[in-house]
This record gives sequence, structure tokens and C-alpha cells, in this order.
Amino acid sequence: MSTNKKYWKGVEELHDSPNFVESKNKEFSEYLPAEDFLGDKGLLEGSKTNRRDFLKYLGFGVTAASLAACETPVNKVIPHVVKTDKANPGVANYFATTYSDGNDYAEIIVKTREGRPIKIDGNKQSPLTKGGVNARINSSVLSLYDEKRYRAPQIDGSDVSWSKFDSAFKAELEKAITKGGSIRILTNSISSPSTLRLVKEFADAYPDADIKHVTYDSVSHGAAIEANKEAFGKAQLPSYNLSKAHSIVSVGADFLSSLPNSVGLTAQYAATRKPENGWISKHFQFESSMSLTGSNADVRVPLKPSEQAAVLANLYNELAAQLGQPSMSAPKTPYSAKIKAAAKHLLAHKGESIVFAGANEISAQKMAVAINYMLGNYGNTIDIDRAVYLKQGVDSEVTALVKEMNSGQVDVLMMAGVNPVYNLPNDLNFSDALAKVGASLVFADRPSATTKSVKYIAASHHYLESWNDQQPVKGHFSLAQPTINPLFDTRQMQDCILNWMGRNEDYYTYLRNNWKETAFTQQSAKLLFDDFWNSCLHDGFFTVSTEGEALSYSLDATSLSVPKTESKDWEIEFYQKVGIGDGSQAHNPWLQELPDPISKMTWDNYIAMNPSDAREQGFATEYGEQKDADTINITINGVVFENVPVIAQPGQAKGTLSVAVGYGQPLGKSDELVGFNVYPATSSKGGRLNYTNQVSFEATGETYQVATTQTHQTIMGRDSVVRETDWSTYKNGDKDDYNPPHMIAMHEGPKPLGDVDLWAKHPVESAGHHWGMSIDLSSCIGCGACVTSCNSENNVPVVGKDEVRRSREMHWIRIDRYFSSEEDRVPEDDQSYTLMEVAEDNPSVVHQPMMCQHCNHAPCETVCPVAATTHSNEGINQMTYNRCIGTRYCANNCPYKVRRFNWFNYQAYSKFTDFNPSTDDLGRMVLNPDVTVRARGVMEKCSLCVQRIQEGKLTAKKEGRKVMDGEIQTACSSACPTQAITFGDLNDQNSKVLAEARGDRSYRVIEEVGTQANVYYQVKVRNTESNIA
Amino acid sequence: MKFLTAKSTLPFLGLLGMFTFFSLSSTSLKAQEDGEKLFKSYCASCHSAGNNQLVGPGLAGVYDKYEREWLYKWIKNSQSLIESGDQQAVAVYEQYNKVLMPAQPVNNEQIDAILTYIKDYNEKAPAAEAATADAGEVEQVEVESSDNTTYIALGLVLVLLILISVLRKVQYSLSIVEAKKRGEDVPEEKGMKDALAHWVQTNKTIVALMGIVVIALIAKAGWDTAINIGVYTGYEPEQPIKFSHKLHAGTNGIDCQYCHTSASYSKSAGIPSANLCMNCHAYIQEGPQYGKEEIAKIYAALDFDPVTKTYGPNTKPIKWVKVHNLPDHVYFNHSQHVAVGKINCQKCHGPVETYTVGKQHESLTMGWCINCHRETKVQMEGNGYYDEIHERLPENLKKQYLEDGTITVSELGGIECAKCHY
Repeated sequence: MSTNKKYWKGVEELHDSPNFVESKNKEFSEYLPAEDFLGDKGLLEGSKTNRRDFLKYLGFGVTAASLAACETPVNKVIPHVVKTDKANPGVANYFATTYSDGNDYAEIIVKTREGRPIKIDGNKQSPLTKGGVNARINSSVLSLYDEKRYRAPQIDGSDVSWSKFDSAFKAELEKAITKGGSIRILTNSISSPSTLRLVKEFADAYPDADIKHVTYDSVSHGAAIEANKEAFGKAQLPSYNLSKAHSIVSVGADFLSSLPNSVGLTAQYAATRKPENGWISKHFQFESSMSLTGSNADVRVPLKPSEQAAVLANLYNELAAQLGQPSMSAPKTPYSAKIKAAAKHLLAHKGESIVFAGANEISAQKMAVAINYMLGNYGNTIDIDRAVYLKQGVDSEVTALVKEMNSGQVDVLMMAGVNPVYNLPNDLNFSDALAKVGASLVFADRPSATTKSVKYIAASHHYLESWNDQQPVKGHFSLAQPTINPLFDTRQMQDCILNWMGRNEDYYTYLRNNWKETAFTQQSAKLLFDDFWNSCLHDGFFTVSTEGEALSYSLDATSLSVPKTESKDWEIEFYQKVGIGDGSQAHNPWLQELPDPISKMTWDNYIAMNPSDAREQGFATEYGEQKDADTINITINGVVFENVPVIAQPGQAKGTLSVAVGYGQPLGKSDELVGFNVYPATSSKGGRLNYTNQVSFEATGETYQVATTQTHQTIMGRDSVVRETDWSTYKNGDKDDYNPPHMIAMHEGPKPLGDVDLWAKHPVESAGHHWGMSIDLSSCIGCGACVTSCNSENNVPVVGKDEVRRSREMHWIRIDRYFSSEEDRVPEDDQSYTLMEVAEDNPSVVHQPMMCQHCNHAPCETVCPVAATTHSNEGINQMTYNRCIGTRYCANNCPYKVRRFNWFNYQAYSKFTDFNPSTDDLGRMVLNPDVTVRARGVMEKCSLCVQRIQEGKLTAKKEGRKVMDGEIQTACSSACPTQAITFGDLNDQNSKVLAEARGDRSYRVIEEVGTQANVYYQVKVRNTESNIA
Repeated sequence: MKFLTAKSTLPFLGLLGMFTFFSLSSTSLKAQEDGEKLFKSYCASCHSAGNNQLVGPGLAGVYDKYEREWLYKWIKNSQSLIESGDQQAVAVYEQYNKVLMPAQPVNNEQIDAILTYIKDYNEKAPAAEAATADAGEVEQVEVESSDNTTYIALGLVLVLLILISVLRKVQYSLSIVEAKKRGEDVPEEKGMKDALAHWVQTNKTIVALMGIVVIALIAKAGWDTAINIGVYTGYEPEQPIKFSHKLHAGTNGIDCQYCHTSASYSKSAGIPSANLCMNCHAYIQEGPQYGKEEIAKIYAALDFDPVTKTYGPNTKPIKWVKVHNLPDHVYFNHSQHVAVGKINCQKCHGPVETYTVGKQHESLTMGWCINCHRETKVQMEGNGYYDEIHERLPENLKKQYLEDGTITVSELGGIECAKCHY
């Protein structure tokens, strides 16, 4: 290996703290109280069950169990009365549709079985999202089967029929219209052309009344919209094309997870990270909290959020000086070396670069526009004309609406897709304003903070039950079609509006007619509208080429400025977590249990702090089942949060804090809140800024239990787990420089690993299939889409916070996140660790997906006493649940620690009913019928999606042809938005996976123990600073 | 015993009577068979042989109502007969809503055969009822005789016990005689219990051996019971409709996949939806055994009115009882076996075409599955999938795998765990 790095999974490992050293060799971190119990004589004698009773119970239990087993089950089989053509039991149907919730967007394929949607994958044909999804999108299928969904519309909190609801609300509307009152429609960003047209028609239908549509976004991008308006005269967001960008500079923008169309951006970004292309992009990230994007950067500079504008200004000046343009006034920053490097790289790739700004601050956004313009990126990597409509909210509009409501002028307020009581800043005081509205209505599919304070609740469809269309980007249209009949007595917003307008048509007809008038006329390939409609519905999207308009750019250096900020000790940034996003799916247990890619925390938000800051403040920096986090009382913008946990987060800039929005909402069937809601602390002054220095805190001296997966599954000091190199070594060097073979010491000298084997060769090579996988560490960004995809494909149970704390999470695939620091920075005689602290302040990160490696010489197989885990002749390590007796020997003997044990009957045990979806009949509808639901006491692990392999083989057999390469995809490989995971047949000489497995970057994790894994990893290649390409 | 003989002669007499009947009417038997076949292929889609109306009128009595020559003309080409202005023809045409009967490609002899069949069909209906009544009695007799075996066994045991006690008495008397002869004291008579204890004391080896045998038998019985838990060979639940596979698949020769449509492409073979039944039962409104009663249940499910032939909105699905229940942790795919393996349905489901009530023919245990996978040759010919697999094999492995010239399912990994359990 070219780098001599030390990898560590957490601060405790880096420092080899006594607690860590003690616990690192223990697989089970929990404390077992057996000694206490057996040693306590009083307890033993006081127990009322004696040995004889025990034997009686045992005998009775065994007899009862055997008798129960003897009972013949009578199963009913109920066929359709009239079967439709495509509804075949046992055969999956796939529908192209669209996910768009105002925050995330993806074109998706929904798999349905027996009429139930059970799995969401990306639409591989989509030119926009390129078959990618993120964790939030592929988990959204679970929300459909949420116990808490509204079953019927409600007036004043009680269920009513739709006819009653309609007449009551229509009366309210008529009252307002006749008196010429004002009706307001408050929504999130609607990118559906048909819905927008309908809303406009509704407004136009009643010219006497004052009807207005107001848009706001939970997480605002208003500043960027306004900056573009100032620069180009168009209040809209541009679309980016990262796939051509050789140089990417992001100042605080988490474009891989939080920007509009982040799924599409991720796919484009990944295209620039494949070393086999002959080039890779160089990515600079200036940010305060470590974001998913920042963890993938080649150069990452931690700074305070308020310094972002200064960095942009200095970057502007640096470039302007080189390009001979006027400079702007810019304060000094301590990051000039990094800024110079970024400027140099940007200049070397003019027109092939992108600069992002993350702050919701007009001055910063304007500078980013100016820099991109100066670099000639518009027309190349940025297209201002192909506008992105996914975020349209301008913050001043909602502020004006609240003012209007407060004055009592609003007669009717209708809300859709928003939760303003929950996510508007406290200083707007939306709930008080809502009380002054004549009649309020919300379209919602489940209770929220807002539904509690409105009179009318129009129970809405889930998006998988609805018709809709979207125009995420100008000229690109997509359709959303229902994949299931409505489960409850619900109705989508558009149908309600049509009904209230007295229009005798449903939204489906309206949608079709709108497409007939608009999209159909923009193409000539299909002559009949029905043909056109059916092909669009089949494909899921329709694209027209738009004519580019001439740009009229009107920003100059004088219009740019850096806002003055008062320097304070602490600044706090509000960010979106990869799992929870803006919080619209906080009720989804799959997402709550998805470990954060950086902190590996589950089931909570928290205040993140730099580890050395935390140590200075006397807060705990190590967490586990026995190690709780400290709590603080924190005041942000005047809003007090009591007893919230503080987490030491490597990479967090010193003097900064960060906290995730979207939490503080009830989960599942309980009313218990998960985390705390910080939206009220965002301020509406000057737009909704995503950071503030109005923050102070004090320690409470109390502790809080956190559930982290961080220190579990340690790498046991083995350094052959992760391999990485830099671009120049990769490009100019030999394979041995960055990926040397393992040598085994023999008495005749060292021998390559492949030449030495104690075992007979497993006969999987060249006979039949040999399934294998290749994972590119260069492409993997650690987003976790594979984890949630695997959950839904393989019926992985949700275990809840308490069990995660005990390291009993059941995920079949996890993403190991290793921090690393240059070890050679530490002199050998330095025992003070002070220099290592520097590394801890800004470590580099490797994300490594880890699942069963399907070893050809599997250590687990040889220790199973009942042969419940065996090897197939197709190279799969098979796990047979009905044979497993739960000795857990296999898990003990697995060097990768990927086997998970079912400690409980998660489907039935009362501990899990509040959040495990498969504890009720509705939640069970999401289960994949082809995969066994595992019982208590058995081991489970990644099966390499054997059900998909079997299905793919069977399809090929039925069609009498060979299995095509790429035809069979595992759940993780199909979900991956960066195509980091390749699955295929290693016995197929033309397969992509074989080419990758034989490639120079290919290695296997802990290969030296001779497991001969069928999962290959590709060495991570960074474009690091010392080797600017 | 006397009673038994008297009863069992009854069916014999019945059989004798039937034999005489058939031998007398054997000339018409051949014609009747042909007639039935012809009727089913040409007429049955629109006419019933009885009185009920389908598309056209029921044909009972048609042979007496019309002249034979007129019938020939009508059946061969009714249209030309109507057009020729034949009064009778026009009357029939008008009577049945001016629905034209299509011309049938049959000759006069065939028409005669059909008419004979229709005549026989209507005359035989009461006779058939009598026959079923007979069959019922036969069954009853069988039940009684099986009860008798138990009585006989119990009787035998009783006789043996009496014999033992008599022999013991005899032995005791003899021992008294012998003792008196020898001049010894008369021995006391031992109780049954004491005698048994004495015997056990003196014959320990035999007792031990018997003990071992008894324990082995109990263990065997226990094992057999345990291994059959969850095995329901012969499971034959009562169904909501008395559907007979024998009639549909056997007598009428309907292909299995006509109803179980998804067997060739889905994991489940599929229970036909009620609308599929209507492909035939829109016309066939009366069955040979239960008349209209059972078929009416299909109509009830579909809310179908057989008179007006209209469908109503109040449908309700038929709740069949599942016969073949696999545990949830087993993945079984019909299409793999039917479309790829080209296995006959009967291989697993038995001679379904002879079942009046659906039943489980095989044990459906894992041993049964594996055994078949070990023995069954893979149908490789003409399947590109297997050609590819075959091509990949290097020479040495080809030799190893193709030693016996055949490839069984298990040789391709067909008995590995994850082929069925995942």
C-alpha cells in the first residue's frame, strides 16, 4: 500500500482508551449479570419456582407444543371472482411511477405482488435520476402501510363521510366566495404541471374572491432562487451536470443528500469518480459539520458557517485576479492556502467545474453564481434555462401570509404537503395565526402537528395510491400512477378540488386531458394520444428538447458583498440527516434505524461538537451501551431545548455545533417523540438562514442513552480491510504500489496467497454459475440506500433503539465508516497524541459496505454443528433457518462479523409493537412473500438475494436462453445511486463483475486468512492535495 | 351373520339385473356412445339433452315432436329451410328469438345416433338414480364388515382368556391328582397374580426379551407418529362446491392448465376465478350428479342470473379449502416444474382425473422432494440456458459430471438448501 495510514472507527479506538481496549476483544459488549444472580442466595431461595415445578412446566410445555403441532391447519384459498389479465398470484408486476415530496425526487419502479407494492427501485431508463434512489425514497413504501394513516376524512377530530365533509367544506368556501373573502392555498413546492393548472383554474373560477397560492419549503432554498433572479432575471434554480465536472468546489452545500434532485446529482458525481475513465474529479469541500458530501471530498476544510461567505469572496478574488477582472471586498480568512489550491484547480478546468454554495443566504449564493459565470460553467456544467422546479419557495411569501392570517383577513386556508405548525420558525408563530383563520383545512395522510389545530382534515392518498405528473426539470415530464387501490376511504387533493369546483370529472381524466393538450402536442413520434399516453405511463417519463435562451447576466463585483457577522464563541448549523431528511418521513422506522453515515447514530438527533471542544467542555466523547452521552440545555435564537445529548463528531469544525432538523415527531403506533424539533429555532429574519450564532448552552450534568453502531464490529487491528491510494500513484504506478498481493511466510520463503491452500478447491469455478460481487470504494458515498433497500427486500426486522444499543441491529448490510489520518505526521517518540488531535479535527473518511462475503472457504460453515449454513455449488453461503438451532458458533467464527442473531420474535413480542411494522396486519403487507420471516433463535445474514437469483435463472430457463449479464441484481446493487456495487456471474467470461474482480484495483477484505470471499472490493482512489492532476 | 349374507346379495342381484339389461340393449350401446360424443362436439355448446334452455331449447322430446326427414334438413342447414318458407321452420325460428342455428356438418346416420343418445339420456335418468342408491348400500355393508373384524379380534382374545383359565384349572386338577398319587400335600391354588409373578420369576430372560420388544414397538410407534406430524397425505377436505375433477379432467378431458392457468408461469398454479368457470357454465347449467345445486353456487358468487344471463354487482368470492399446504419456509415454484422440468401434474398430485374430491396424494415431505430431485433427469435438450451451462464445463469436469450419461437435478445443485429455503 502506498499510504501508511491508521484506521479507526471512533475516537475511543484512536486513543486506545482503557474502556476500548478492554471491550474490543469482546463481541458482546453487554454486561451479563449471571454471577450476580447465582451468587445471591436470598434471590435463589426466594424464588417460588422450584426444580420440580420447573420440570412440570417443561413437561406440560413440551406436550402442549406437540399437541398444537398435530392440529391440521385449515387454510382458505380465495381466488378472484373476476380475474383481471395481469393479476396473477405469485407473479410480480412492476409499475413506473414518480416519488416527489417537495424535498426528494426520483423516478421509480414499484414492484407489486398480489396487488401490494412491496419494493421500490430506481427507474433505470430515467435520464434524470439514472436509476438511483436514496434511502428516504426506497423506504417510502413502508409509509403506505402505516397504522396511523387516516381512514376517513375528519371534521373537528371525528371521522365523517366524504359527502358530509364535502358539503360542510363547500359551505365554508361559498361563504368566503360570496363575501369576496380571501382563500389561501399553502403548499410545498409543486412541480406537477397538471396540479398547478388545476390550482390556477380553481383560483380563476371565483374571480370575486381573493384566491392565492403560497409556496414554502420545509428546508428553504429561497436565497439561491433569489440570487438567480438577480443574476439572470429568472426566479428559479438551474440544473447541474456534474458528470462533466473535473473540479467541484462546495462551500457548505451537501449536494449528495440535501440539494434538489440530489439523487440525480449523486449519479452524476459518481461518474466522475471512476478511475478507469482516465480521469477523476477533484472535490473541495468547505463546511462546518461533516456532511455526507464532505466525507467524500478529496480536500475538506472545516470552518465556521459564517465564514462561508468570506471563503467564496476570497475564491472570487483569487479567480478574478487570474482572469483580470475586478475584485470585491473580502475579509481575510485562515484558509487562503486551500482557497488558492481550489482556485488553481478551477482555473485549470474552466467550463468543466462547478462551485456550490450551501448557505441559504443571498450574498453567498450570488457569489457562487458570479464565480460559476466567471469560470464559463453556464452552458457547460450548469444550465440556467433548464430550470429545476423542485424547490420554489420564497421565504418572504410565507412571512406575508402569516401576517395576513394574524390580521384575521384569511377566511379559508387550505394546506397540502406542508406541516407549518411543526416546521416554521417560532418567531412566525404560525399556530396563533392559524387560530385566527376562518376555516382551515389540511390534506394529510397521517396526523401531524398541523392536523391537531385545523378543523377539516381531508384524508389523502399515499403517493403510491395517487395519480399525478411532475416536471422536475424544464422539459422533462414524469407520471405517477397508482400501484394499489386506496387502502382506506381517502381522496387525493386534486380530486377534492375538482369535486368542490363542481367539475364532473376525476383527476385521472383531468390529467390525461392536460397531457393531451400539452405534452402530446410537443412530440411527433406517436400519432394517437392513447399510444402516447400508454408509452409515457410505461416508461414513467417523457422528455422534450427545450430551446436554450440567451443569457442576460447582470451581476458585477460591486453587487457582491460579504455580510458582516459578529464573531461569537459558538455557531450552530441546521442540517438534514441522510435518513430523515426534512422530517416528512420521520415516522418511518426503517429510516430511524438507518445509522447516520457519519456518526453511526440511530433513533436520535443531537448536538454535534468537535471532539476536542467536547473534551474541553468535559463532555463524554465515547458512546456505547454502558457509555451514555452528556446532555446540555441549549438556547438557539431564543428557543430553549432542555436536556439534549451532545455527541463528539470528528470532522466538526472547532467552535461550531450542528443539529439535524426533522426530528421531534412521534413514531409508529406510539406517541413517543424521537429526538427534538429544532425547526422552531430557525429564524425567519433575513430569509430562513440555516445557521446562527445566537446560541448558548450549559451542561446539565445528566446523561442520555444513545444508540450507536459505531464501536461495534471492530476491525480487530487488521489493516487489510481498507485499501486506498491517490490518483498519481494509481495512474503512474504499478499494481503492487497500491494493491500488493498478500504473501504467506513459508519455510521456503514468502509465497503469494493464491499458491497456498489447506483446503481442497471448492468446485464452483467454471461449473454452472459462480455468483460474485464487486464493490467500488471510490464510488461508494456511504448514503445507505443499499441498507434500506435490503431491509425491504429481505424482511429485515426493525429492532428499536434499545436493541441497537445492545448491538443487536439486524441489518444484513452495514456501511462501515472508517476515519483515517496520516500516521506519518506523528513522530514515533511522540506519546502525547497532540498531533493526532489534528487528524481527529479533520479526518478523511472511507465508506465500506460490508455484508456476508460468501467465502468459498467459509469459517462459519465448518463450525455449524447442524450444517445449517452450507456452501452452494453456485458460490453462495447458504443460511437455512429451519435447520438452525442458534448456537451462534458461526457468528463467533466469522471474521467479517456479518451474521445477525434473532434474539426475539420481533413480529409478536410486545416490546416491538410500537415500531416494528410487521407486528400488525397492515404493516405485514410490506413483507416480501418470497423471503422467509425468520423466527426467534435463528441466525441470519445476507443471502446475496438468492430469491432474485433463483427468479432470474428461472426466467432464463423458461425463455430457453442464458442468463444475461446484469439481468440479475441484488437489492443493494439495484438501489445504489452511484453504481458502486456490481453483481454478476464470475463464471460468465464476459461479465462486468469478472472484469472488475480481475482488475488491478481488486482486493478481498482480510484475504490473508484464506477465506476466498466472493465479494471483491476496489481500492479507493482519492484525488488528494499533494497530487493535483 | 345371516343378516350379513342377505344384505350382500342385494347388490349382486342388482348387478345381475344390469348385466341382463346391457346385454339386451347392446346394439344401441355403440350408437349411444357415438351419439354422446357427437352430441358433445356439435350440439352441447348451445343445447342441453334435457329440458332446460341454453342458447337454444332443450332437446328432450325432439325425436318425437318432429319428423325425422325434417330434422335432417333443419340440422344440416336451417337457414335454407327457413328461407324456403317451410312453415314449421319459420315457426321455430320465430319462437326462439330469431337466433339462427348454424349449419352442422353431420350426415343422417350421425343425426340418428345423436337422437338415439338424447332419447336414451332422457329415459335413463331415473335408472341412474337407482344405481346411485345401490352404491350407497354397498358402502354401508363395507362399513359393517370392517366393524366385525374388531369384534372377531375381541372375541378371539376372550376365547383365549377362557382357554387359559380352563387350562389352568385342568393343570391344577392334574397337579392335585398327581400329588395325591405321590401322597404329597395337596398344593394350594395360586391366584392369577401370584401365578404370573411366579412365572416372571422363573422366566427372566423371556420377560427381558419381551420387554425389549415392547419398548422397541412403542419407540417405533412414537417415531412414526412424530415423523408424520404435519404430513397430511390423503387430506381430503370438504369444499364449498362439490367440484369433481373426475368429471372435468377425467370424463370431459379438460386440460389441467385450462383452469390452473398460472402453473406454467407462476410459483402458484392458481385456483380458477369464478369467471373462468363461466366459459362453460354459462351454458351448462346442470351437472350430471348434483343437478343445478352446485353450479348455482358459481352463479351466486358472480351474482349471475341464469335465466336472463346477466351479471349483478353483488359478487362474493368462493372460499375454497387449500389442499396442498407447504410450510412458509419452503419456496416452491410450479413454473419451474411444469414449464422447465416438463413434469406431469400427476407426478405430484396423483391421478387427479379420478378424484371426485380433491385430495393430497403425496406426503409433500422434504425427503419426498429430495428423492425426486435425485432421480429426475434434467430436461436439457433445446434449452439455451443449459447449453450455456454445458459449454462452460471444462473437459475434466464434463467427464466427472457426465459419467453416467445423465444429469439429475441434484447434480446441478437441486438438493442444496437455498434452492428451496430462503
